[in-house]
Amino acid sequence: MKLMTKLSTLPAAVALAVVLSACSSSPITTSELDGARGDFVAAQSNPAVAANAPVEFKAAAEALDRANAAAAQKESLADIDKLAYLAKQKIAIAQEVTKQKQAEANVAQAGRQRDEVRLEARTAEAEKARTAAERAKADADASRRQAEMAANSAREEQAKSAALQQQLADLQAKQTDRGLVITLNDVLFNVDKAELSAEGMRTAQKLADALAQQPNSMVLIEGFTDSTGSSSHNLDLSQRRADAVRQALIGMGVSSSKVSTKGYGAAFPVASNSDAGSRQLNRRVEIVLSQNGAPIATRR
Amino acid sequence: MNTVQHKFKVICGALALLALGACASNKTPATADVAVSRAAVANATSAGAADLAPEEMKSAREKMMRANQALAAKDYKLAQDLAAQAQADAQLAQSKANSAKATAAADELQQSIRVLRDEVSRNTSNQ
Repeated sequence: MKLMTKLSTLPAAVALAVVLSACSSSPITTSELDGARGDFVAAQSNPAVAANAPVEFKAAAEALDRANAAAAQKESLADIDKLAYLAKQKIAIAQEVTKQKQAEANVAQAGRQRDEVRLEARTAEAEKARTAAERAKADADASRRQAEMAANSAREEQAKSAALQQQLADLQAKQTDRGLVITLNDVLFNVDKAELSAEGMRTAQKLADALAQQPNSMVLIEGFTDSTGSSSHNLDLSQRRADAVRQALIGMGVSSSKVSTKGYGAAFPVASNSDAGSRQLNRRVEIVLSQNGAPIATRR
Repeated sequence: MNTVQHKFKVICGALALLALGACASNKTPATADVAVSRAAVANATSAGAADLAPEEMKSAREKMMRANQALAAKDYKLAQDLAAQAQADAQLAQSKANSAKATAAADELQQSIRVLRDEVSRNTSNQ
């Protein structure tokens, strides 16, 4: 009677205890199910899985729930293993889908990165081309300026040379094998004197200017007289006249080391000495300019 | 025997009957499951899983074959179990193949970016 009362007052707890003791005394699991549970925990703790494969993860969770329920209800080990296997595969699927989505996101981002780098490359190329073009332009400008300068100095040289030619023409310079010869005639000196007249000084100035244009030239001043008078007198006069021209040139800035003199007296006449006109022609000073610093050959 | 033990036996017996009764009506669902898993294997093949996930594909095909055999032998429960496993294997193979392809594409792209970057730095340093 006591037993019946006890049984009737505690039905649920006792029934449960008896059922439990009738089957087994501890919750069952299999290594397959443990493995699936472990895989699930790993997937769960990776935030990328829930983010990238929510559908697949939910399916995996449901599969694991079914396997756990089978274990709780103590179904056969084979059945538990089958459900645990499915759960394991579904968890793996969720992981693979996560990997795939991450790689695809990577590709999208990398695509943008590649476009950026391409843009960088093109900008750098354009920059390089622009710098090269600028440099080329600068070089071209410099060459042009150089060419202009060369043309200008060539023109200057030409002008100088033309001016010189003009001066020499004014002086009635003649080209001989000894060099250029300028003849100063008798009227440039006062009668029987060795002083240059005003006209003579003007001529000397023209000569000095021409010499300034030709820094390398050497000058030989040769004095001559007509045949009247003694040879010693004539030699002396011709020498003094040559020296007078030299002094004038030096006074006008011509370097003294360039200028030498020689008196020849009545020698080397250029006219007959038979009348006044021809004698006047013989009374002269000849100035020989050698170009380019070559020494002047003496008369034979 | 007492009341609880008796109740337990009745419950177990009923469950067994229920299971047996359920077996007879499993033919259509089993055929459907096998068809679904065949489709899953085909999808996995076209995703290139044969090369990229060979083990999972092998397992899927094997289980498919055994599921078909079970279906022919009218063991519908076994056919369903095997079909479910084959489907899971095939789906895993397919997702592995897809992730392998995506990863390869990402790696290639990263490599080409590295090459591009090297070129750019070479060009800028040559100026």
